[in-house]
Amino acid sequence: MLNFSLLADATDHAAATAIGVIQPAVDAPDLKWAGLIIGLPALSALLCTICGAMRVRSKLPAFITIVALIGSFVLTCMLFQQLGQGAPRVVGLFEWMSFSWGNADRFQSFSAPFALYVDSLTLFWMLFVTGLGSLIAIYASEYMESDVGKGYTRFFGGVSVFLAAMATLVMASNLVVLYLGWEGVGLASYLLIGYYYSKPSAVAAAKKAFIMNRIGDLGLALGISLIWVNYGTVDYATLFSVLEAGPTAGHGDWMPGAIPFLLMLGAFGKSAQIPLFTWLPDAMEGPTPVSALIHAATMVTAGVYLIARMYPLFALHEDALATVAWVGGLTAFVAATIGMAQYDMKRVWAYSTISQLGYMFLGLGVGTTFGAGYHVFTHAFFKALLFLTAGAVMHGFAGQIDIRKLSGLRKVPGFRLVSYLALLGCLWLSALPFSAAFFSKDTILTAALGSERSDFQFLGWLGLLTAGITAYYTFRVWFRTFAGPVHFEAGDEQHDAHDDTHDPHHAPVAGLSLGAKHDFHPHGPRWAIRIPLILIAIGAVAAGWPAYNVLFFHGENWVQSMIAHSSAVAGSGEVHGQDVLGLSAHLMTSIVGSTACVIGIGIAFWMHLADRSAADRVRSALRGFILTRWIPTTLENRWYVDEIYHMMFRLPLWAGSHILHFFDKTVVDGFLVDGTGRVPVAVARLFQPLYNGVLQGYAATMAGGFVLIAGWVFWIWLRGNG
Amino acid sequence: MEVTLAYALILVPIACAAIVGFSPSNLAKWIGTFGAFATLAVAMLFAWTFPHWTDGLFAPTNDATSWFSAMGVSISLGADSVALLLILMTTFLMPLILIGSFTAINERVKEYYFWFLLLEASMLGAFLARDAVLFFVSYEFTMIPMFFLIANWGGLQRRQAAVKYVLYSFGGGILTLVGLLYVAMKMHAATGEWNFGIGPMTEFCSTTLPASEQVWVFLLLMAGFAVKIPLVPLHTWLPLVHDQAPTGGSVILAGTLLKLGTFGEFRIALPMAPIGGVEWNFVLAVLCLIGIVAAALICWVQHDAKKLVAYSSVTHIAFCMLGMFSLNSIGVTGSVMYMISHGLSTGALFLCIGMVYERYHTKDMDELGGLYRRMPIWSFFMVFFALASLGLPGLNGFPGEFYCLVGAFIAEDTAATGYPGLMGPWFAIIAGLGLIAAAMYLLMLVGRLVWGPLREPGAHDKDHAHTSHHAPTSALPVDIGAREIGILLPLAIACLVLGLYPEPMFKAIEPSVKNMLKPYPALVERYVRDGTLLNDETETSNSPFADATQK
Amino acid sequence: MTELLATYDASSVNAALLTSSVLFGIGLVGFLSRRNMIVMFLCTELMFQGAALAMIAFGRVHGNPDGQTFVIFILTIAAAEAALALGLVVLLYRRRETLDSEAWSELKEC
Repeated sequence: MLNFSLLADATDHAAATAIGVIQPAVDAPDLKWAGLIIGLPALSALLCTICGAMRVRSKLPAFITIVALIGSFVLTCMLFQQLGQGAPRVVGLFEWMSFSWGNADRFQSFSAPFALYVDSLTLFWMLFVTGLGSLIAIYASEYMESDVGKGYTRFFGGVSVFLAAMATLVMASNLVVLYLGWEGVGLASYLLIGYYYSKPSAVAAAKKAFIMNRIGDLGLALGISLIWVNYGTVDYATLFSVLEAGPTAGHGDWMPGAIPFLLMLGAFGKSAQIPLFTWLPDAMEGPTPVSALIHAATMVTAGVYLIARMYPLFALHEDALATVAWVGGLTAFVAATIGMAQYDMKRVWAYSTISQLGYMFLGLGVGTTFGAGYHVFTHAFFKALLFLTAGAVMHGFAGQIDIRKLSGLRKVPGFRLVSYLALLGCLWLSALPFSAAFFSKDTILTAALGSERSDFQFLGWLGLLTAGITAYYTFRVWFRTFAGPVHFEAGDEQHDAHDDTHDPHHAPVAGLSLGAKHDFHPHGPRWAIRIPLILIAIGAVAAGWPAYNVLFFHGENWVQSMIAHSSAVAGSGEVHGQDVLGLSAHLMTSIVGSTACVIGIGIAFWMHLADRSAADRVRSALRGFILTRWIPTTLENRWYVDEIYHMMFRLPLWAGSHILHFFDKTVVDGFLVDGTGRVPVAVARLFQPLYNGVLQGYAATMAGGFVLIAGWVFWIWLRGNG
Repeated sequence: MEVTLAYALILVPIACAAIVGFSPSNLAKWIGTFGAFATLAVAMLFAWTFPHWTDGLFAPTNDATSWFSAMGVSISLGADSVALLLILMTTFLMPLILIGSFTAINERVKEYYFWFLLLEASMLGAFLARDAVLFFVSYEFTMIPMFFLIANWGGLQRRQAAVKYVLYSFGGGILTLVGLLYVAMKMHAATGEWNFGIGPMTEFCSTTLPASEQVWVFLLLMAGFAVKIPLVPLHTWLPLVHDQAPTGGSVILAGTLLKLGTFGEFRIALPMAPIGGVEWNFVLAVLCLIGIVAAALICWVQHDAKKLVAYSSVTHIAFCMLGMFSLNSIGVTGSVMYMISHGLSTGALFLCIGMVYERYHTKDMDELGGLYRRMPIWSFFMVFFALASLGLPGLNGFPGEFYCLVGAFIAEDTAATGYPGLMGPWFAIIAGLGLIAAAMYLLMLVGRLVWGPLREPGAHDKDHAHTSHHAPTSALPVDIGAREIGILLPLAIACLVLGLYPEPMFKAIEPSVKNMLKPYPALVERYVRDGTLLNDETETSNSPFADATQK
Repeated sequence: MTELLATYDASSVNAALLTSSVLFGIGLVGFLSRRNMIVMFLCTELMFQGAALAMIAFGRVHGNPDGQTFVIFILTIAAAEAALALGLVVLLYRRRETLDSEAWSELKEC
């Protein structure tokens, strides 16, 4: 058995009988049809490409994608129906990268077939990935309609690629196939962030996202290499059985302890954690459905998935999980503080996503995979809901997203439903007591607060503080935008901003205020936006069911049992923890968390609804006092992280590259190569006067040369004869 | 059968070149393309009937099939699976290049196709040769067609580029020749007869030549190949030549000519002088790392799209060589795989840039941008090949790259490779930084050329920039047409297939790699134990030539 | 043949060598000092014959007929070459209307 001592601190092993035992995988060739879960979106991507080549100018690509994604969802449900929480199944599809040399020893072969590993963790993730994917695709079919015939095909092609890659990532049976999906979702993210390709900011954001992810990916790739070197396999099932056989199954002293840290780097890149988090806010340059699907609900949770999947490996180094916890806790706090000072609604939600992902990592780090998994689940719904309502606002107000320029949307015809769904999302994000997110966040914070480690307890308190901040910035947005007196300015973004005839540099339409231009009428969303919104809201509410089931019916938590039957079993136990300040950790978290939530909402109510000038007064008060002057500026400038990275990495690299290029051109090429080439020329120049073009000159040279040689020979002959 | 086909592989392009030479100018492109297709057909037939895909042997398996031999020099041809894969790639690229040249080449058309077919023949000759002299002659002969291709159809500095190319490669090549002649001379001294067969020379040199001499022989052989590969710091001719060469020339240069260097390394330098290969391993590996990182950073600050791709060739090929110098089967297999995938994706990138150049007569990224708006189909392919080139899993770049990385990573690990190696995780980590840099410069390229606001040369001179239809100045369609799609699509499909199902390639490459690596485990082990191979000459005594040398 | 070679005496060989050097010297001096292309050409022929004579003489010294064989070849080729060279001279004359060799100095660099 592996040494799970660290986990034992935070979790109660007594309750579950099978804790720490990962069920052995079963080969299931009869489940080959599960490959269609990946295959359908891939096929859809291919069909979208063909649509693009044939210049289809209808909504056909959307229909293709929606059908494919719903197909994937149905297949996932069927798979769930069939397997439930049974033993993991391995479904081989085809050989991909396999190679063997030497003898049959495990270490002398590298086997990465394209195969699926289906256990309850896989199914858990696939259910909400394909489900939300389908709903958001329906939403996008209306949201993107002004682009029909232009970018529409490209958009849905990208969404299909994303779903195929995400399904590959989650269903992979080995780390190399996971890596394929991992980079695939990065590609889809790149293509979709850069969807409005004529905006330089969108192109830059796409590039940034891809490169920051690549840094993480390098960690993942090296981690995979190291896993293979130490355990002779990259296959989950084999890896887990090797790990259970004993920690010394590896060979050599190749720092197995480095494995979790390298994997972590990959996870932090994909899930936008410190230090690789700055790409996610910029990623909001993409269309809103993309932000909802990829950059809130699904792709960014891939890091959580990776750590949950590889959880047994995180016991290889005693500080590995603690690092995850610290990074998660700090990210949650830092992102929340930044979220307080942003004015772009989507960016606030982006920072809240980073912050909530931080909670998930905190959960993983303090040893509750259950809490992390549950938070992934609840967060997927309410965050998708928040983004989609923000998208509905953008759609109706010509791209306006600045919370200073929108107010009282609750009373604007057509936006009532959107406003109240946004309220639901906000309450859930603030972890209103008895909402789904309350339970999931509660589990994580209880594990942290109740830990025996004092640093985890500190992170728990920090998490509770963050919960208050979260409630504040969430309702800051809602009170500003949806409540209060009606006032709005339309955005400057025509939906055809990337149209052939329009260049944003030449003719940006100035912000239209209602007073100035009477012909602007915000249009409310139609059914294709409303229905997914309602369904996702229902999902967000229903996500609380597993917890209610425990609380009121003394049943079992469905999420918990899903996690418990997977490789993340080690942290899936019920969280109790020790007492904090005389109260049980659980009770303490609930009380303090609820209070923080209420206080946060209250402050937001005062500063952003009851007395909107209060916010400015607070800001100038902070600015006025020398010790607190830095607070508003730092937060508004996102802790200057982008600037610091620019100074620390990009500038030196840029300068270094120029120096290298200069060195290459002048020293290597100019001096060494061309210099060598000039030597014969220089030597020839010495004799050039002899070759003056006159025939006699050449003859004289020849004769002179002959005489010289003859004289030399004669001299040698003379010397030879004494 | 295979002998006939091997000769046909060389003779068909030569014959077609001759026909092109005597045909009327307006038929030249058709005959030339036909010749390239005919060669492709022969190559495919060769591959189809090839009996040694999985055992790494040379076909034909005996050397006695030469047509002509004198002084030990023979015209004898054959191939193993690695050579055959490279032949397939070359013959696959060639028709695409020639079709791609239909509109780009309007002057001296006949000569162009003539030289291209001759170039193909000489490249295939180098891949097929089983005689060192024949190899060397074919290898060096590639310079002559290439010289004319650059000097006649190149850019503004084409003369300088052509001269630099020839002098540089020739300078290196001479040293390789000296190395080969030295081995042949020693063998003549030992056995009393002249023999230039690559097989016998390899066997003699690797088993009989004393360590101190092998070290120098390796360096001599390496000199020419390192220029051709090109290994940093001998790379500076490549950006200039790529920049100045016509599109077709660039494609074949990146696609196949550079592979002559890596192939020479694989076929001749490493097997012939394994002691040298081990002794110089560290230096070469470090040069590869410098190449990977420095060239990638240099890419990042380029303004010229073609120069960027040229420098990216330098970093990619350094990656490939890192895999080869890892001296274990996974790394070397990855390296061979990388040769092929690099040929496809980089060749395709050059084709894409050539298509833009034909339309705008510039490849300066400061003048061009946002071409998606004008050329969506071209943009699709451009992004696709850029992604293939940066090693996205699922496309062709990844399998080779990943194996090279793993090969370098485990090259220290006895249990994984069966013997200790000379690199280690740090080499892989530094090489991995190249992956990040690859994303940086390729996305920069794509971000500037494909995405962003539309920028076209001369657009700022004219008023109605966003309404008038002005930029493409040639008679070509605005976006790429059926002919150009027909060039890029097969490449894209090949990239996708190799990325999703590289398995048959690995199966084919691996046995050859094993043959090549035969002497290495023992040597590497000794090197790791003693820190040098120069102290101990006893191990040569069991070679079949041992008596002869003592005489 | 053998009798011929047998009657070798040093003085006659020395005389032949002397003659050959004189012929060569005259040719060389003439080539260097004259500018008329036809005269220069005649001078090269003189040098040529001087060399040929030396070759015969050395053949004699070594008792080897190869020298004479070569000279016969050289004479034949020299005849052909003379025709060619005079043709060239005529062509050059037509271009520049002069036989002065300094009219042709394009080989000079810079």
